[in-house]
Amino acid sequence: MSKYYDIDDIIADEEVVSVIFQKAVSGVGIDPSSETDNVEVGSKVELPLWLAHELQLRQAVSMNVPSCFNQKTRLEIQADSACVNLRSRCPYFYEFGSKIAPLVSDRTIGPLLLSAFKSRYKEVLTKAHTAAFSAASKYPSLLTKEENNLYESAQSSMAAFKKWRMGGPRFQRASVLGRKRKPIE
Amino acid sequence: MAGQSDPHLSIFSAEEVEFIAEDEMVEIVPNLRMDALNFICGDFGPFFPQIANQVPLWLAVALKKRGKCTIRPPQWMTIEKLTQVLEAERDSQRVFEQLPFHYVEISRLLFDHARDDIPDVYMVRSLIEDIRDVRFHKVETSLETLNERALALKINNLSAMEVNIVRPFVGRALQAFYKHDSPELIPDQERVLDRRPQVVSNATRLSYGAIFRTNGCLEF
Repeated sequence: MSKYYDIDDIIADEEVVSVIFQKAVSGVGIDPSSETDNVEVGSKVELPLWLAHELQLRQAVSMNVPSCFNQKTRLEIQADSACVNLRSRCPYFYEFGSKIAPLVSDRTIGPLLLSAFKSRYKEVLTKAHTAAFSAASKYPSLLTKEENNLYESAQSSMAAFKKWRMGGPRFQRASVLGRKRKPIE
Repeated sequence: MAGQSDPHLSIFSAEEVEFIAEDEMVEIVPNLRMDALNFICGDFGPFFPQIANQVPLWLAVALKKRGKCTIRPPQWMTIEKLTQVLEAERDSQRVFEQLPFHYVEISRLLFDHARDDIPDVYMVRSLIEDIRDVRFHKVETSLETLNERALALKINNLSAMEVNIVRPFVGRALQAFYKHDSPELIPDQERVLDRRPQVVSNATRLSYGAIFRTNGCLEF
């Protein structure tokens, strides 16, 4: 329950999963491509995770492993994890992965997440502190939400320190001071 | 967990760290006669012209601004001492030299307000900048060793400002590693397989793997 108000956790629940219906369901408009409001057994539909999870608990659907954890992505992460654009695959890669792993009972997702984060972390570390002023850098657009938080926290503390070191006026003049008094009519 | 989606996790701003540093004592030589000052933080004075006295840095700066004293630079703020420190910092990859906990802030305050009291101020200033850069680079290289088995990180003799810069990043990174290493996600047998080749690196890691020791008040 500690994450109940965490907005990232809520948005991560919105990621779509493809599911296969095990039961025929009538009277629902879940599948926009079907002509009637009925869903046949065996039809493949993309649903948000929160709905898919509830339906799976009722054994109405079976979940497939989402495409951002497929073999192709895994190979890319193994080859050069720092350059993989995880944001385009799934902006909540880690949160989504840790939610989906027990549901699809795929034991390889956990280690995949850990190894991906471990190797990408080093890149975040070196880039965040050195590139404090190059705001136009393309690097953050490759990062997932969680990595981006990490990157920004390092960058903002470094920028704050540089600002303090450069100094500038220590006391700011209040705007009311030095203004010419209007002649009283 | 409340601060997780907030990227500005830093507890102190640079200005606040500077404020804390202003309580450090420095030696001043007043040029006025004044009775003892009785403050909540202690009694200072009485002041006699040309007789050196110990006061907190904020008082020294206030007197200096009014032209009532000269500040004696601290003993570590000499070219010889700083050159030694810089060489030692460059020589060792892991060990940090002992410098005052607030050396970044003290030197900044003295350079701002008491430039005329520091001999060779340009040289001293660039030496301190160099030392700071070398040390920060070392902090970064030691952060590279963070992994899922590190519960905390120990770096001796790190100064207040250096800790303050890396604090939000390290806090988040440790949290993330902890989260991704949760036992539900990583099956136990893989953990064992994974650990076997790690034995050697584990031993080296232990020698500097505990907690940022930071004078009590600035822990993660």
